[in-house]
Amino acid sequence: LPAGLAQWFPALEVLDVSGTGLTEMGTELLSLPCLHTLLAKNNRLGGPGSLPKGLEQAPLARSLRVLNLSGNRFSEVPPALLQLRGLRSLSLGGNRLHGIPPDIQELHSLEFLYLGGNFITAIPPELAKLPSLRYLVLCDNKIQSIPPQLAQLHSLRSLSLHNNLLTYLPREILNLVHLDELSLRGNPLVVRFVRDLTYNPPSLQELAGRTIKTRNVPYAPSDLPESLVRYLSLASNCPNPKCGGVYFDSCVRQIKFVDFCGKYRLPLMHYLCSPECSSPFSSASQSSTSQSESDSEDEASVAAHRMQKVLLG
Amino acid sequence: MEQPVQTETWKAQSLEELVRILHQIFAEDKVSVDEVQALMESYESNPEEWLQYAKKEQTHTLYFRYTRNLVDNGNGKFNLMILCWGEGHGSSIHDHTDSHCFMKILQGNLKETLFEWPEKKGNGEMTKKSERVLRENQCAYINDSIGLHRVENISHTEPAVSLHLYSPPFNTCNTFDQRTGHKHKVTMTFYSQFGERTVC
Repeated sequence: LPAGLAQWFPALEVLDVSGTGLTEMGTELLSLPCLHTLLAKNNRLGGPGSLPKGLEQAPLARSLRVLNLSGNRFSEVPPALLQLRGLRSLSLGGNRLHGIPPDIQELHSLEFLYLGGNFITAIPPELAKLPSLRYLVLCDNKIQSIPPQLAQLHSLRSLSLHNNLLTYLPREILNLVHLDELSLRGNPLVVRFVRDLTYNPPSLQELAGRTIKTRNVPYAPSDLPESLVRYLSLASNCPNPKCGGVYFDSCVRQIKFVDFCGKYRLPLMHYLCSPECSSPFSSASQSSTSQSESDSEDEASVAAHRMQKVLLG
Repeated sequence: MEQPVQTETWKAQSLEELVRILHQIFAEDKVSVDEVQALMESYESNPEEWLQYAKKEQTHTLYFRYTRNLVDNGNGKFNLMILCWGEGHGSSIHDHTDSHCFMKILQGNLKETLFEWPEKKGNGEMTKKSERVLRENQCAYINDSIGLHRVENISHTEPAVSLHLYSPPFNTCNTFDQRTGHKHKVTMTFYSQFGERTVC
């Protein structure tokens, strides 16, 4: 960046240095008091010094709303970037990112996040702590699963997941009631219900724990070693309301297919306490021989119909 | 549109002239596909002339979602529209409801993947025929006898804008699931018409 930038243009609000071969952006940025949009796409940024030190104290940390760093060489989200607390729109498309830092949640004003075209393999659940996030683009990455917590993104309107390595989606995705755009093509989504053959029967400890919880056997911390008291506190409730059971480590993963607006079937992952249990939404329990695709589940299809437009395949 | 007629070599100097010549061509009984394609290609994209139609959803200052914007309705003979493609945006695989479809790139690049029609009782992955990347000012042509296609902006840094001519006009088509060949009828709407935002 040219020296003296802030002196010559103190009122600068929009700075576009895209396609200029920049390898770093220096301290000149720190003196710009009014900058709200910084476009620096298609450069050679990504090494140390791409963003200046001392960003946290600079006016930029509060004034910057839009930052576009797409088409650069970032292999990780620079920690300095997470100081830009006023940021509403961030693009790091077409870089070399392998992951998303959990501290992304610091950008609490973020509404638009573009991370398409990287090498991201997993999504941290902390991403779901961004309360204003409306547009999330994760296409063209190497993502294998979506954390169910992502359903807490209540403001989400658009979710782009095409061209990844997803085999199923979490059932909770149906809770995203404002979602009107979802792209899933180019994922190896399972089309057949494959029973989880690696279900390990519960251990004796687990069976004892389940009994204590479901029968409300009273116990006090003085009755048990601390490790077992802790173990008992980690019980998860079986989602089947008719079951009322709990499980600890041993659960069945089951994929059920939801008919999506009459268009195609989406494989959604359910967790249950045992193979005999059934998910809350089906009317009859799945028998162990039932390998065929399940029919639409009433409550789930209502949720699915809420999604007006789904782009897939 | 049937067999080629005496084709002229048009050169559209502006978007307005392009529209004017299209009206002239389509006023005839017979229209040549090659002539229209050459005309569309001859127009050198000038953003000043079409920016008013390239409406992006007022979501974010810089992000296009996919929008369809009607430019001219060709006295009922054709629809001319501008499509805006945000970074990473693509269409479903779709047909063209027995109409002719011309697609010219005004800005950026679009990848076109051609597919075979699925078998009647489609139950397998659809067959890709070919793919290519269309550059600025190029004009592609497709109709149902050629096949189906998916159009995508594969850039993560640049939005794309394209100019489409459909004749006869249509507002429904079928989209196809690549994994199974199953089709689904959809109705298309315009985000804006003649430069004005349409409220649905």
